[in-house]
Amino acid sequence: MIARTKTLQGNDIVSSANVVSGLLYKKQNDVVYYFGLGRMNDSLLNENARLRLQMAMLKGIDTLHDSLVHKPIGKPDSTHVVRYADYVYRTARVINNSVSAANNYITINRGSNDGISRNMSVVSGSGTVGRVVHVSPHFASILSVLSVKQQVSARLKDGTYGYVTWDGDRPDVLMMRDVAQQIKVKAGDTVYTTSYSFFPPDIVMGYVFKIETLKKNSQQLLYMHPAANFRNLQYVYVVENKMDAERKELEDSVKSK
Amino acid sequence: MSVYLRNFLRFCFIVILQVLVLNKVTLRWWLEPMGFPIFVPYVYPLFILLLPFETPVWALIILGFITGITIDGFANTAGLHACATVFIAYLRTNVLNALLPKNLSEYAHQNPNVKNMTWTPFLTYAAFLLLLHHTVFFTLELWNFSNIGYLLLKIIAATITSMIFVIIYVLLFTRQTTARV
Repeated sequence: MIARTKTLQGNDIVSSANVVSGLLYKKQNDVVYYFGLGRMNDSLLNENARLRLQMAMLKGIDTLHDSLVHKPIGKPDSTHVVRYADYVYRTARVINNSVSAANNYITINRGSNDGISRNMSVVSGSGTVGRVVHVSPHFASILSVLSVKQQVSARLKDGTYGYVTWDGDRPDVLMMRDVAQQIKVKAGDTVYTTSYSFFPPDIVMGYVFKIETLKKNSQQLLYMHPAANFRNLQYVYVVENKMDAERKELEDSVKSK
Repeated sequence: MSVYLRNFLRFCFIVILQVLVLNKVTLRWWLEPMGFPIFVPYVYPLFILLLPFETPVWALIILGFITGITIDGFANTAGLHACATVFIAYLRTNVLNALLPKNLSEYAHQNPNVKNMTWTPFLTYAAFLLLLHHTVFFTLELWNFSNIGYLLLKIIAATITSMIFVIIYVLLFTRQTTARV
């Protein structure tokens, strides 16, 4: 379920993170940027409201000592390292975006000079976006969740694990596979990321809207709307997990034995 | 204007049009029926289609590769556009020979356009090569035949939409010498 996929061969040489295309996209974005300011304000307001709500909930725990009712999003787990892992958030502006290809890439205006490196995860104010695959000094390109070659580990709110894929046609539909039949899911349920994948845990991936039980393996297939609107992404956060290198090293050393 | 300069300017114009405008318009024919493919119209093969008649095949293939890899660099597709464009660049001379009444060498210093080819042969030529280009490109891109109806729909919808853009381009950029008095 750990999603580590290869990139397309040769993509390192001609990718949209290189100097020429990056600069051209930057210039174009400087012009069209102003047309989306209203929408961006709205999304920032919504995010502020959500964060304020979370803050209020956390305060509620301190005063009331009622951790059952006022529980922050995510299940309490004893894995100390993941829960307090040091995540660094960096903001970036989206300067190129696509939703129609089989593997969709997003270009942002931050690169290795700003501390971005490969395999960092990218989230927006409302949900998951993707993973950094190419970096140049001033730009980076991100393979978005809308990609047929990338699977992301995910969980439902009761802790059931599965993985989320995209079938390549509709940018507003993601699918969560391998959910056992006895698990009760209803439309409107939220799907979160897990710490198994490259994303930080407990970030909203999407909302279930249709449930289908497959005949051949008696497992449920959940259709969900992604939480982030990929059609009008403007700002994203690049998340650096400071524990990631250590974890990879440990996992790889186990594998090589 | 020399023929090299004119074609270079056309290359720049078409690539910029494709990358900065058309790659940003994600189209879908109907909103409601779930599962109807969304696509981007690809008009840049028009550069290959409009090169002069006497361009040799090796030059066509090299130019096709350069065009394709340029678009690839902007779209992160690592050679898929280059592959499809080289394919139609190779077939271009044969298609022109099949469609034109005279030998290709008799059209010296001319580009294929609606005046020397007339509308029907020109549109057949453009539509056939665009269809081949889109077929190769979308097949390689998706590389999944479990949902073949979806793939065919995407190819056909994208080809027809691209043809509309090609017709608009041709109407805009054909020099009108007889219309004005």
